[in-house]
Amino acid sequence: MAQTYARGPIGQSTLRVEDDPLLKGLGAFVDDVAPPKNTLHLGFVRSPHAHARICSIDTSAAKRLPGVVDVLTGRDLVDLMKPIQVDPDKPGFKITHRLAVTIDKARFVGDTVAVVVAENPYIADDAVEAVAVEYEALPAVVSLDASLAPGAPKIHDYIADNVIYENEQKTEGFDAVFTAAPHKFVRTFRTSRIAVASMEARGCIAIFERGLGTLTFWTSTQVPHIVRHALSEMLGLSDSKIRVIAPDVGGGFGMKAYLYPEELVAAALAIKYRGSFKWVQDRVDDFLTSNHARDQQYKMSYAVSAEGIIKAIRADILVNIGAYASFPMGSSLEANGGPRNMPGPYDFAQFAFRTRAVATNTCPTGAFRGVSAPSTFFSVEGMMDTIAKELGLDPVELRRRNLVTKFPYTNAMGQRYDTGSNGECLDRALELSGYVAYRRSQPASRLLDGKYRGIGVATVTEQTGQGASRYKERGLYRVPGFDAALIKIEPSGKVSAFVSQAAQGQGHLTTWSQIVAQELGVVPSDVTVIQGDTATVPFGSGTFASRGAILAGGAIIRATKIIRDKVKRIAASVLEASATDIEVADGYAFVAGVPKMRVALSDIASIAYSLDARLIPEGEEHGLEAIAHYDPPTSTVSNATHVAFVAVDPATGAIEVERYVVVHDCGRVINPMIVDGQVHGAISNGLGQVLSEALIYDESGQLTTTTLLDYHLPTALDMPTIQMEHMETPSEITLGGFKGVGEGGVIGAVPALAGAVRDALSPLGIEIIRLPLDPPYVLSMIEAAKAKRTN
Amino acid sequence: MKPAKFTYYAPETVAEIIALLGRYGDDARPLAGGQSLVPLMNMRVARPAVLVDLNRCKALDAVSDDDGTLVLGPMVRQSGGERSELVRRLCPLLAQTLRFTGPRAVRNRATIGGSLAHADPVAELPGAALALDATFVIEGANGRRTLKPDAFFVGQLTTAIEPGEFLREIRIPKAAANTVSAFIESGARQEGVAIGGVAAQITLAGEVCQDIRLAAIGVGSGPVRLTATERTLLGRKLSEALITEAAKAAEDDVDPTTDLHATAHYRKRLTVALAERAIKQALAGPRTN
Ligand SMILES: Cc1cc2nc3c(=O)[nH]c(=O)nc-3n(C[C@H](O)[C@H](O)[C@H](O)COP(=O)(O)OP(=O)(O)OC[C@H]3O[C@@H](n4cnc5c(N)ncnc54)[C@H](O)[C@@H]3O)c2cc1C
Repeated sequence: MAQTYARGPIGQSTLRVEDDPLLKGLGAFVDDVAPPKNTLHLGFVRSPHAHARICSIDTSAAKRLPGVVDVLTGRDLVDLMKPIQVDPDKPGFKITHRLAVTIDKARFVGDTVAVVVAENPYIADDAVEAVAVEYEALPAVVSLDASLAPGAPKIHDYIADNVIYENEQKTEGFDAVFTAAPHKFVRTFRTSRIAVASMEARGCIAIFERGLGTLTFWTSTQVPHIVRHALSEMLGLSDSKIRVIAPDVGGGFGMKAYLYPEELVAAALAIKYRGSFKWVQDRVDDFLTSNHARDQQYKMSYAVSAEGIIKAIRADILVNIGAYASFPMGSSLEANGGPRNMPGPYDFAQFAFRTRAVATNTCPTGAFRGVSAPSTFFSVEGMMDTIAKELGLDPVELRRRNLVTKFPYTNAMGQRYDTGSNGECLDRALELSGYVAYRRSQPASRLLDGKYRGIGVATVTEQTGQGASRYKERGLYRVPGFDAALIKIEPSGKVSAFVSQAAQGQGHLTTWSQIVAQELGVVPSDVTVIQGDTATVPFGSGTFASRGAILAGGAIIRATKIIRDKVKRIAASVLEASATDIEVADGYAFVAGVPKMRVALSDIASIAYSLDARLIPEGEEHGLEAIAHYDPPTSTVSNATHVAFVAVDPATGAIEVERYVVVHDCGRVINPMIVDGQVHGAISNGLGQVLSEALIYDESGQLTTTTLLDYHLPTALDMPTIQMEHMETPSEITLGGFKGVGEGGVIGAVPALAGAVRDALSPLGIEIIRLPLDPPYVLSMIEAAKAKRTN
Repeated sequence: MKPAKFTYYAPETVAEIIALLGRYGDDARPLAGGQSLVPLMNMRVARPAVLVDLNRCKALDAVSDDDGTLVLGPMVRQSGGERSELVRRLCPLLAQTLRFTGPRAVRNRATIGGSLAHADPVAELPGAALALDATFVIEGANGRRTLKPDAFFVGQLTTAIEPGEFLREIRIPKAAANTVSAFIESGARQEGVAIGGVAAQITLAGEVCQDIRLAAIGVGSGPVRLTATERTLLGRKLSEALITEAAKAAEDDVDPTTDLHATAHYRKRLTVALAERAIKQALAGPRTN
């Protein structure tokens, strides 16, 4: 039986406390922090070559510019910091190292070859231009194919085949089952490299307090504690002397869940010069150097029974990891994201995969909302659509026959799904979208009012809230996996919650206050959430991978329980009752069933902090605070069905999303409005990946899309109206029953939108196996298909 | 992303502008809405030594009717032009086009003259100016000279404006009676830079096409007249079938190149599709009095 939860602040669409200041321009991002007087500004000299030996660097002209304080090369910095090293010494991994400022070779356009220090950012940019670097260009590899070709240039001398990570697994008995199945289907899917393009790019201010010998480090990050630990380890200043603060962060989406070379350099120089250093990135530099994502290929082989039941899946996955592995997620993150997500909502026992992360002369890639899953489900759902068509089944019927509907369930990767609602979400989404009627009236030509119109249905899962054991299993030793909360009922009776998560727009200040309020019997507006500052919040992992609600939720529930028990004990003593009879609600502790016998939380706080005539009961410690950590046993799985309706213009190839329905289950919902926002935003990410977004390197390794004119992010005008419903199937393994929600929207949107286009163009025999579906590409497919017909 | 060093002037009269532009010649650039120039300077793609800000000069943002000619100061904001009653009445095509020249926030700042002087091959306004047979008034120390669109647009991001000169005025003949018009474009996004677009202005005598000017953007270094299509339609009754047929001829009018956003082939096909739609959309709209 699923647990039922008491009503309270959890489950309410409380207005986001974040929005008022943000809408009034009162947000404070790194660039809004007033730096100390005499703060110096950094400029980074980026390699214009994708692959080149660095022959010489002449810094003299730059150093002569008025206002330039210093110009440093990799050699000047090498003694100040350890190289960035991340992956473990484990089979499949290669231990790589990256110098924050490279010395021997530049390995991508944007690799750093020198650093300038100047009095202001204008002079810094002048100085960057004045540094004369002599390069010897080397042949560059950009694509997966080129990097894997025999005799391809090596990105790192110690990796002969450019394969930086590899993992191959097969379930027992796979071959026999695969061979025996009557139908086999093979397709290869490719997704374009995309950029996060967070509204705020990266930036940091490193301030060394000379008197105390401490470092205060402001940075736009998702993982302040991981950054602090890494700075300490790589720079040799003890972590107790480092304070990392993530102020308001204007979007991260995984891209800021990393420690970047510029952060290391800024902190190292602050320590070396005992001063303050600032760097704020611009958009072009963001495109060149902030981790990209999803440059991936999936070769999918399915063995299917006559009835359309999946018997076995083999996947050969290639991930373009770029020039370096990034700290702390390393080179395996995207590569393993594919197979880890692949079983999804479908029931099959036999699974074989080989996945490889391949180095190229391009910007490093890494986490971006959903990690690999949007591309994985583009491939998985693409196979489902293809198989349905080939077997003459409705695509929804094929999915229904294969859906996991009994829980708990253990998938082919050995991962347990505790609860879920795959079938229920599908049913409701079909109902809301009018799927059956739509199919019945849909013309075989798919032509309606001069456009090809189609519908796409995707059933997906989202792996959320991974705990420490999952990260260890995956070889991500530098990701702690747990999170923590320090809760204080202050002397006034108001509550402060210090949480190890660090939001980038998720609305933590609101949702955590709702959880605290629910658990302590107060109203959310009485709770102040503090986050992002390592000096005040306990150690923890940070915010990424749809883990906030589960991890912070669990930690808050545990910490508030300790406080609540203490409140009850003190109240029991005041009310001369037994602590087990005390309940807490509406700002009071009272005797169960006798609400008039009560004492206000503020009075209990006065007693606890000894600000009252009454002494704290004997045996109790002073104060009213508790810290607790939460590490969920494994991960928990959210699920959803997305239904997209599109129209394809046969003359221009332009695609319009006409309608969108999503039914979504992230377990117990803390704030429905915030969940709506998460799903909306994520769908816009998916819409961009499917319709327009692509980072394009030319053959020589130049990134040709370095502005928002050339890199096509969708805007609000491109978004359909989204009809959304939530189902609530609480997790049985997480405290509070929460499941994550940050990534599911994009994981469902990519296959649903691609599927709708596939359906619209199906009469032409067009298969959708590559993204993005920009108008010229779509028109070229339509023209090629028509030419084939007439031949 | 900080601009290289420059000197900034904010003159208030046309005489001062001309004096400054004359003094600094090739080193000076006028600053209008700044929506193209400032990003280019921040990226250090443009590095003028001197900026002559036109924003303080009150004489440059007037819209007037000079006896049947719409006269626009170069500093008329794009959103202002779109809203202007005079513009809508005299040159509906200009108002129609101004809806597409960028996001509203950008159009509130960007100017009509700035877009024309910038001469981006995918900018909408040069296409409209060509379809409208605009006259460009250029002024410098040696006085004024006037140019028609084919002489004004010299190439990608290049016009006939010489150092020391600036775009002083844009003059557009009032649309004749019984004129219909439309601007349409297409791209990967609703509100992004277009891949291509077509401006159409047609004057009718009953159902017969008496005059027609079609201009395409995104298919060359500047806006391109679709003369083959125009020829097919001129003097004829505009049936659906004829329009479809005529639009096909647009392929021969344009010679685009392949770039990051689209192949040359795609740009041709798009021009055909948009020419057909622009003509049909124009015909479906109201006629001028
Ligand atoms: C987000 C965004 C989206 C945009 N989308 C579009 C779009 O869809 N379509 C489109 O066409 N444009 C678009 N633009 C460009 C915008 O419309 C430009 O600003 C405009 O083309 C230039 O106008 P401006 O007034 O800003 O000129 P500025 O940027 O000030 O100047 C542009 C150039 O023209 C010169 N110049 C300006 N005025 C004169 C003059 N009177 N005489 C001589 N030279 C002069 C300047 O020296 C400079 O070289 C977009 C811009 C942004 C920022």
